[in-house]
Amino acid sequence: MKYGTTFSFCWSGGSKLLLYHYSHVEVKFIKCFFKMSSFSRSAQQWATFARSWFLIDARMQPPGKIASMCSVRLQGKHKPIYHPLSDIGDHVVVMNTRHIAFSGNKWEQKVYSSHTGYPGSFKQLTAAQMHKKDPTAIIKLAVYGMLPKNLTRRTMMQRLHLFPDDVLPEDILKNLTEELPQPREIPRKLSEYTQEERNAFPMLWTPA
Amino acid sequence: MSLLGMFWNQTVCLLQHFRGRKNRCYSLAVRAVRRAFVYASKARKAKRRSMRQLWIQRVAAASREQHMKYPALIHNLLKCSVALNRRVLCDLSITEPRSFQSLTALAHARRTEGLRAALGDGAEPPGVFSRITQLQ
Repeated sequence: MKYGTTFSFCWSGGSKLLLYHYSHVEVKFIKCFFKMSSFSRSAQQWATFARSWFLIDARMQPPGKIASMCSVRLQGKHKPIYHPLSDIGDHVVVMNTRHIAFSGNKWEQKVYSSHTGYPGSFKQLTAAQMHKKDPTAIIKLAVYGMLPKNLTRRTMMQRLHLFPDDVLPEDILKNLTEELPQPREIPRKLSEYTQEERNAFPMLWTPA
Repeated sequence: MSLLGMFWNQTVCLLQHFRGRKNRCYSLAVRAVRRAFVYASKARKAKRRSMRQLWIQRVAAASREQHMKYPALIHNLLKCSVALNRRVLCDLSITEPRSFQSLTALAHARRTEGLRAALGDGAEPPGVFSRITQLQ
């Protein structure tokens, strides 16, 4: 679909640059002080169709929510210029996949089944066993299941980069453009509350 | 004036790209051309459906960038009697981002007014955007 050669929109907002400190894994946001509307037309077009690199921290997050965020961006469905044939998906880097948090009893109850086709090779693994064997497998399978079931799925999976811990290789670090906010707010542990907050919490009854 | 000649004269531009003997031999070509016409007729209806689906996906993506969901956007624009269809909204979101941003702001304002009216039990005065009634 042709919509003219000039693009006047800045749908990536003010793109956020990422600063990464190796020593203690601090990710800082620096908002760019320029707007895409101040670019020349050719620069706008370049920026519109460029492939971004997103970073998601999966620590204490439900893997399904992480996977749905990944699949949306891998397909390019977050862009107003989306078309299923256009191949406008972005790269997504997920770190700390070892520390994902299933809700409920899914670590023991969720079963991943596989069959190689040979007789007697039906394997069933619980999520905990799967995670122990390969810490990135759960999110990988979740994203694979959420992508459209066509030939573009494999290329999209190649653009998904999973890392069990927060150690990322340098070439990927250099490519990152934006970090996405975590879907779930991590609740604080009881030990992280101060004594004053604990005293201030309303009590229904005092144990006699 | 043979029927065979007529057939080939009329359909040679259609079946040039068919596979195998369907582009050469009369009996196979007749069947293939008939199927091709049937597919084309069905596709003319399906094209309208798929175009609308694409518009909706694009407007949803653009509205999510503005922190608004697609159903909320459409419903609140309807309540403000903004009768822009999905095709126009899609084109605006691509080529006129600021206009689309202002439309989402309008929908957001109408939505917050609706929520306030629903939760506040009419004690507060109704908002500015809620006074626009739907066109008949």
